[in-house]
Amino acid sequence: MTWETVIGLEVHVQPATRTKMFCGCASTYGEYPNTNVCPVCLGLPGALPVPNAEAIRLGVVGALALGCEIHPVSIFARKNYFYPDLPKGYQISQFDKPLATAGSIRIESPDRGPLTISITRLHLEEDAGKSLHDRIPGFTAVDLNRSGAPLAEIVSGPDMRSPAEARAYLVTLRQLLVYAGVSECSMEKGSLRVDANLSVRRPGDPLGTKTEVKNMNSFANVERALEAERARQIGLIEAGGRVTQVTLTFNAATGEVRPLRTKEDSHDYHYFPDPDLPPLVLDPAWIAAQRAALPELPEARRNRYATVLGLPEYDARVLTQDPAVADYFEALTRAGTEAKTASNWVLGDAISGWNETGTFEVAPARLADLIAMVDDGTVSGSAAKTIYRELRSSEDAPRDVATRLNLVQVRDTGALAGWVDEVLAASPDELARYQAGETKLIGFFVGQVMKRSRGKADPKAIQPLLLERLQS
Amino acid sequence: MTIGAGEVRHVAQLAELAIAEADVPALAEQLEGIVAFVGQLSELDISPDELAVNLGPDQVRLRADVVAPIPMTRGPGSFAPLFEEGFFVVPRLGGMAEE
Amino acid sequence: MNAAHLAHQTALRLKESDARGMNATLHWSREVLDREAARIDAAPAGPLTGVAIAIKDNIVTSDMPTTCASKILEGYLSPYEATVITRLRAAGAMIACKANLDEFAMGSSTENSAFGRVQHPLFPDRVPGGSSGGSAALVGAGVVPVALGSETGGSVRQPAAFCGVVGVKPTYGRVSRFGLVAFGSSLDCVSVFGRTVDDAARVLAAIEGLDPLDATTFDRAPMGQVAGRSDLKGVVVGLPKEYFPADLDAGVRAACDRAIARLRELGAEVREVSLPHTRYAVPAYYIVNPAEAAANLARFDGVRYGPRHVGPAGDVRALYQATRGQGFGPEVRRRILIGTFVLSAGYADQYYRRAQAVRRRICNDFDQVFASGVDLLFTPTTPRPAFKAGAKSADPVQMYLEDIFVAPASLAGVPAMSIPIGRDEGLPIGGQLIAPRFAEGPMLAAASAMERMIAAEAEVRA
Repeated sequence: MTWETVIGLEVHVQPATRTKMFCGCASTYGEYPNTNVCPVCLGLPGALPVPNAEAIRLGVVGALALGCEIHPVSIFARKNYFYPDLPKGYQISQFDKPLATAGSIRIESPDRGPLTISITRLHLEEDAGKSLHDRIPGFTAVDLNRSGAPLAEIVSGPDMRSPAEARAYLVTLRQLLVYAGVSECSMEKGSLRVDANLSVRRPGDPLGTKTEVKNMNSFANVERALEAERARQIGLIEAGGRVTQVTLTFNAATGEVRPLRTKEDSHDYHYFPDPDLPPLVLDPAWIAAQRAALPELPEARRNRYATVLGLPEYDARVLTQDPAVADYFEALTRAGTEAKTASNWVLGDAISGWNETGTFEVAPARLADLIAMVDDGTVSGSAAKTIYRELRSSEDAPRDVATRLNLVQVRDTGALAGWVDEVLAASPDELARYQAGETKLIGFFVGQVMKRSRGKADPKAIQPLLLERLQS
Repeated sequence: MTIGAGEVRHVAQLAELAIAEADVPALAEQLEGIVAFVGQLSELDISPDELAVNLGPDQVRLRADVVAPIPMTRGPGSFAPLFEEGFFVVPRLGGMAEE
Repeated sequence: MNAAHLAHQTALRLKESDARGMNATLHWSREVLDREAARIDAAPAGPLTGVAIAIKDNIVTSDMPTTCASKILEGYLSPYEATVITRLRAAGAMIACKANLDEFAMGSSTENSAFGRVQHPLFPDRVPGGSSGGSAALVGAGVVPVALGSETGGSVRQPAAFCGVVGVKPTYGRVSRFGLVAFGSSLDCVSVFGRTVDDAARVLAAIEGLDPLDATTFDRAPMGQVAGRSDLKGVVVGLPKEYFPADLDAGVRAACDRAIARLRELGAEVREVSLPHTRYAVPAYYIVNPAEAAANLARFDGVRYGPRHVGPAGDVRALYQATRGQGFGPEVRRRILIGTFVLSAGYADQYYRRAQAVRRRICNDFDQVFASGVDLLFTPTTPRPAFKAGAKSADPVQMYLEDIFVAPASLAGVPAMSIPIGRDEGLPIGGQLIAPRFAEGPMLAAASAMERMIAAEAEVRA
C-alpha cells in the first residue's frame, strides 16, 4: 500500500530594507557582535518600537506578487516566550489580523506538472538575535545584531505531496520575490529561511500528525531533510508506532533528522495586540498603486518571450529565471539585436560570465555593437567570441578591439584575389579533380584561403571570387 | 473558579519565575481572590465582536527607512552582567531547545 | 537666582528631607546638581529656567541610575535618556533627583519599593499614596516645586490627593512614553505634580507633544500656556453619582460638598450625571494592567542588564527563574502571575478580551456624558485620606480598591487631575476633575479658578 506525503512550508524572508523593522539600526549582515544595536533592538527598559515604512511596503509588494488579498487594517501583536536571543521576552509579529491572506502561486511540479499552491498568509514580524552554542565552552553566546531585522513570514497551504514538489515551490517562490524586489532571498546570508511541516497518510485518509523540520541551509537540503523525515515517519508507522508532534533539526552532514529538545510549555505562546503600536492602516489607493507598479513577474515575462518575441520555450524559461538575466536580454534587444540572436548570446557567452561573477561586465550597447559587426560581416562569429572575452576586461569599443587584435575581416577584392590565386597555384591536384566534376572541393579551397589569410578573410566574399576563377 | 497549587506552579513556570514552595498556598489564595474579584466582569453581557480599545492614534505612524540608530552613551558591555568577546553570555540552555 | 544657587538650595533641601527619613529619593548627588547648574547657566533661558524637578525613578536618565525601585535593576545606568527628560532640559529645568516609587509603579502606597517605604510629608506614620509616592512627597514637603510621576491607574492623582498637591494626568498619547519604563503600555502616561496648578501646567506644556520615537503620541497643536480664569460662567460640571457612594468617608464628602458649592459660586452649572460602568473599572483594570505588565516585564531576565542570579541547575531557565524570583518583589510577582494567567491558553477570551470590551464601554460612558453638554466632571480623588502604613498591605484587593475613582479615566485615556480641596484632621483631601480627551486646557483653567478661590478663603481665615 502506498503512502501520501503532505507538506506545508513556512518561509521567512528578510525584506531588502536599509534599517530594521522597528528601529533605525542598519539591517546589515556580518558585523562584529552587538555593535549594530540600539535601545530598541536591545530591549532596554523604556524603549519603544516604530515600524519601518519600507518594510511594510515590501511586505505588501511581496503579498501582491503572491496574489494575496491585502488587508487595509492589520494589527501587530506580542508573541510572548522566553529565549536568550529574544530581548523583550516577546516577538512583535502579526497574529489574528495579518497583513495579507489567501494568495496562491503556480509551480511546475516534477511529479504532477503545473500546479497551484495556496498561500495561507503573509505577515510581518521582527527577527530574533543569534545564539551561538559552540563559541564559549559550556555557555551560550548571544549576538543581537540581527535582533529586530524585518521578516515577512509566508505560510503555504499543506498542498505539496513530495519533497521534490516542496523544492519546486521554493524555487518559484524565491523567483517571484526576487523579481518583485522584495528580498535578496539568500539562504546563505539568512535572508531566506525555511521551516517545513510534514505528515504522511494513506490516500483518502484524514491528515496525519505533522512534525516540523528546521535548520536546512539550502533548497537541496530541504528536499533531503523532507525525504529523511518522510522515511522516518513511514518507518515508524509501519513498525506499529505513532508519529508524535515534534520539532526536528536536520543534520546536513549525516542526512538525518533528530528531535530538538523542547521545553514542555514552549508552545503555550500567548499573543495579544501590542499596545505600543496602533493599527497598521493602508490606504486602498496606495495598495492599488503598489499593485500597478509591480514589475512584470516571471510567468508573464516567459509568455511574452515565447509569444511576442517568438523565442523557443527553453530560451524563454532560462532567460526569465533571474530578473537580472532577463533585463540584460531585453536591454540587448532594445539596443537593436534581433531576439533569437540576443538570446543565443545571453545564454551562451554572457550567462557563463554572469555565473562566475554575478554581473554582466559588457554593457548591452557594446555587446549589441559587437553583434552588429558579426551581422554585417566585419568580424567572423569565432572572432566575435575572442573580442567578447577581451571586452569583459576592457573599456575599448568592440571595433577598436577587433582592429587591435587584427580580427577585422578582409573584404578587399584585390587582397582576396591574391590569396585565391596563390591557393589555386599551390593545389594543382585538387584543381584538376574540381575541374573533373568534384565540385564539393569548393569547401577545401575556401578553407585554404581562410588559412592563408590567417582567418581574416570574409568567407562570404571568397566564394564568388573562387567560382569566378574556377570557371574561367 | 478555584486556583490550586498546581495552577500557580504552572503559571510561574510560564512566567519563568521561581517561587518558594512555602509561598504557594498563600499565592494560590491571593490569586483566587483576585480572580474572583475580576470575575465581576462576567456579569456583563459582552458580545465577542465588541471592538478592542485603541486610545492612541487611529493608525500607526511609520518611520522612513533611514539609518539613524538612537545614540547610546555607553555600550552593552557596560551594563551586561556577563559580556565576553562582544557577546552577552548565558549558561547553556538546558531544558530549552537549542536551534 | 542663578543656577549654582538653585543647585545649592536644592541639595540642602534634599539632604534635609533624606535626613528626616522621608525616603522619597533613590538617587541624587551634589555632582549631578552642579553639572546641571553649569549646563543651565551656559544655555539661554527657557520656560522652566530656575525650576528644580524630581523625576520618578521609572523614567530613564543617563546621568543617574534608573531602578524602578526594584532589585532587578539595582545600579542600572541607562545609555539613553527619556524624551521627557530631554525636553525638560531644553526648557531650562534642573533635573534634581530620582524619586522613590512602588516597585515598577505597582502599588497605591509606595510601600512596595525594594528600597523602603516613603513617608507621608506631614504624617510620617502614614503613606504618601502611590505609586509616585516619592515625587508627591517631595513636592508636598516643598523640596521641589514640581515633579514627574507616571500614571497607569491613578498613580499621580491619588498621591497628589494624599500629599495635598496638584497632580495632572494628561490625555493618553499627549506626552511621550519613550524612556518611561513600561508597566501597562495602553494606560501609561507621564504625569506631573506641582505645588500649584500653574506650576504643573508649565511642566506639562514643556514635555507634551508628538514624539517620533513613540508611535502612540498624537500630532496636535501645542497646548501652550493655560489661560487662567477667575470664574466658571458657562461651564457645565457633572457630578457622576457612582463617585459619591453612601459609604464615602465623611471628611472627603464634606470637602467635596464645599468644593461643589465653590464651583457654583464661580458660576458653573452643576448637574448630576451617571457613568454606569464605573464599578467595573477596577476589575477591568486589574486584568488589562497585569496582562500588559507580564509582557513588559519579561525583558528583565538577567541576560542583558541588571544583577543576575544563577539558579542551582546552572542552565538558562534556572538563571531566568532565580533572577526574576529574587529580583522582583511580592507585588510584582503577583501581578506577573495574574497577567500570565489571564493571557494563558484558554483564559484569554474569558478575561483579557472581556476586559478590553468593558474598557470600551467605560470609554463610551465618558463619551456620552461629555456629548450631553457636560464640560468637566468633578469627583473625589480617593475614597479616604492617606491611611497608615501597613493598614492595607495584607489584602491586595483592598489595596486595589483605593483606585476606584482614578482607574476609570486611566482606562478611557481621558485627562484628569487632582487638586487640594481641603483637610480633615490635618489630612489633605483631593478633588478630581476629569475632562474630554485633549481638553487639558479648559480643565487646568477651571482648576486654577478653584485653586484661587480656595487660597483666598484660606487668607480670609488666616
